[in-house]
Amino acid sequence: MPEPKQIFEEYYDKLLDKAHDANISLGLSRSVTAYRERKAQVMEKFPHTVELAKEIRRLKEDCVERLGELVQKATATLEENGAQVHYAETGDDALKLIGEIVGSGKVLVSGKTLTGEEIELRQYTEGLGNEFWETDCAQLIQQLRNEKPMHYVYPSLHVTREQVAEVLTNLLGREIPPDIPTEIRTIREFLRGKYFEADFGVSGCNVLAADTGTIFLLESEGNIRMSTTVPPVHIALVGIEKIVPTFHDAFRVAEVVWRYAGFNIPLYVSMISGPSGTTDIECTLVRGSSGPVELHVIFLDNGRSTLSKDPILKEALYCIKCGACLFECPVFELAAGYYGGHGYFGGLGAILTAYMSGGFEEATPIAYTCLRCGRCTEVCPQSIDLSRLIPEVRHRIVEMARS
Amino acid sequence: MKSTKLYTPPVFRIISMNIAKWGNPLGLKKSDCTSWADGLQLPTKGKTILYTGCEYQMTSYIKSLVGVLKRVKFRDTLFSAFSGIQSTVGKIGVDLMKGYTKVASSESETYNRLLRMAALTLKRLGIDFAYLDGELYSGALLYEYGLFDELEEQAKRVVSQFKEAGVTKIIALTPHSAEVFQQVYPKFISNFDFEVVPYISSVAEALNKLGIELSLPEPLTLTFHDPCHLARSLKVTEAPREVIQAITNLDLREVALNRELTSCCGAPCETIFPEFSELVAAKRAEELSATGAKVAATLCPFCHANLNKGVDLTGNKLRIVDLGEIVYQALEVSDARA
Repeated sequence: MPEPKQIFEEYYDKLLDKAHDANISLGLSRSVTAYRERKAQVMEKFPHTVELAKEIRRLKEDCVERLGELVQKATATLEENGAQVHYAETGDDALKLIGEIVGSGKVLVSGKTLTGEEIELRQYTEGLGNEFWETDCAQLIQQLRNEKPMHYVYPSLHVTREQVAEVLTNLLGREIPPDIPTEIRTIREFLRGKYFEADFGVSGCNVLAADTGTIFLLESEGNIRMSTTVPPVHIALVGIEKIVPTFHDAFRVAEVVWRYAGFNIPLYVSMISGPSGTTDIECTLVRGSSGPVELHVIFLDNGRSTLSKDPILKEALYCIKCGACLFECPVFELAAGYYGGHGYFGGLGAILTAYMSGGFEEATPIAYTCLRCGRCTEVCPQSIDLSRLIPEVRHRIVEMARS
Repeated sequence: MKSTKLYTPPVFRIISMNIAKWGNPLGLKKSDCTSWADGLQLPTKGKTILYTGCEYQMTSYIKSLVGVLKRVKFRDTLFSAFSGIQSTVGKIGVDLMKGYTKVASSESETYNRLLRMAALTLKRLGIDFAYLDGELYSGALLYEYGLFDELEEQAKRVVSQFKEAGVTKIIALTPHSAEVFQQVYPKFISNFDFEVVPYISSVAEALNKLGIELSLPEPLTLTFHDPCHLARSLKVTEAPREVIQAITNLDLREVALNRELTSCCGAPCETIFPEFSELVAAKRAEELSATGAKVAATLCPFCHANLNKGVDLTGNKLRIVDLGEIVYQALEVSDARA
């Protein structure tokens, strides 16, 4: 691993370089404008979301105090529902567990998972000799461009339609024009066969209800629904901070996530509580029907428990990953997700990177890029007070730099 | 957690050493910090003070320091020699020092002028106040950097200076010092019971009370850049607008991102990532310029300086002013009429 100073310098070189990239500027400005317009319409249509968000803040404050208890409860419920539940202390543990489940020479299709990005799941499973396909359009573009994601909800928001045409032309060996509907249709045709070839479907989780064991997955493309329904085995990777006590709580969290991400409603809301099953013959339960025969749920800690015990920085765990903050961040508007670690972005991403992916070495320059201007807090459904958190994380950094 | 020794930029050491040794981040002399008050016959003790935090005074020096930072990037060796104007003469290459001091002397007068105007405005509005001879810097940058131990030390020194001068109320000229006093000091100092009022709030209140009708020598259209800390941390968004509205021939053209959604000028990261800071400034300068106004007013010396850099970079013709300057001019007109 490079020295902390080298990480710091390389990060800055890249940040500056990307801020001068004309394609990134164009992609970003198109995306930011479109998002702001849509978000304003969405909030006008569903104004109650603001109050709902305040309830969710209180809910998350409570949940972060009892992560262990919620994991236990969710585990028991999911096992009762026929799922196989695993607990991973670290990212490496999670990779090892998944490696044991999938083996090699298999095909995996994956819906978008931030947790997967956090532990670099695609790279790991490919390294074991598997074929791994991202099925979210933006993530497939990212995979084909061999890039890191740039945003939680819109991972390729810095890529222009012209650049998408280029990667698709390369992938398929025929000319794809820079026309957005044509590009999306091309991706659809390419991916459709993959779902049926796949041995495993991978997903993340937007929120999980402990009392029913229900995994909520929000999307509009249908790719998550396909990935978690068609292959015979579904593997869900779930950060433990995603668990809330009840089904009703989970639904409220989900609604806040999608509204602040800029949607009236995501076209698909999947709720998965176990592997498929039926009681249709003699009312006798059999696991494994038309849907997946197995569901593996991997609960990932990877620094979350440690972060939850920090009296101040634990606020970072209230984040529901809607990404609204990033659209209002002056740094992000210039450099996209290069202002961030490999999976978490922006100033809050510095804290998540420090504890959950990449460590403080990677987090240091990110933390010092934050302008502490506080505009993110104004649009954050959880009102996360980053202006207060950033000096705190910097304080921990200077202490570690002194020792 | 891994116990690797982390890296922080060498500029942290320079700035914290200077604060401890000279009372301000750049090692400015006492006379550099207080020459603005020469001839104003202000008392140096009193219940109410105008606190400048040396921030306007530093701005011109920061600009040249940042010029040096850009050239040496994160190189420790050059930095370790670089510890304040007073102690470094003769230690650093002549080239560096020339840049550092020459630019400073040409620009410090601009900022001294703004300070004098701010003080004269308060006097004109009938507010009695003192200033601190040898005023110490608040330590806002130490808070920014996460240097909490150093901040606590500085806060103790600042508070004892306030106590010696018999201060109970602080009119904080800059948003950074108002924020750090109002919201940060109480976490580090027990019984920090000073009243802290942002400068523009005092001015708005007094104008309102006196009911003076103000106008400028010529009609003017301007846009207003809300400093982040003023608008969001301190939640002061209406006072500047009340002041602007009190001036009859001054037309305010709001920038799209205003009040609590104001967009940062980029100054906060300029001592660490100077080139990037300028790009943020350029973006904001363009937003302000898109209002069609030829003048943009602000209320923070760092916004003022950085937006100027942004204007230079974008090549647009926007003129950046301090709102205090506009108010002062309007008061002069009203006095001349009377």
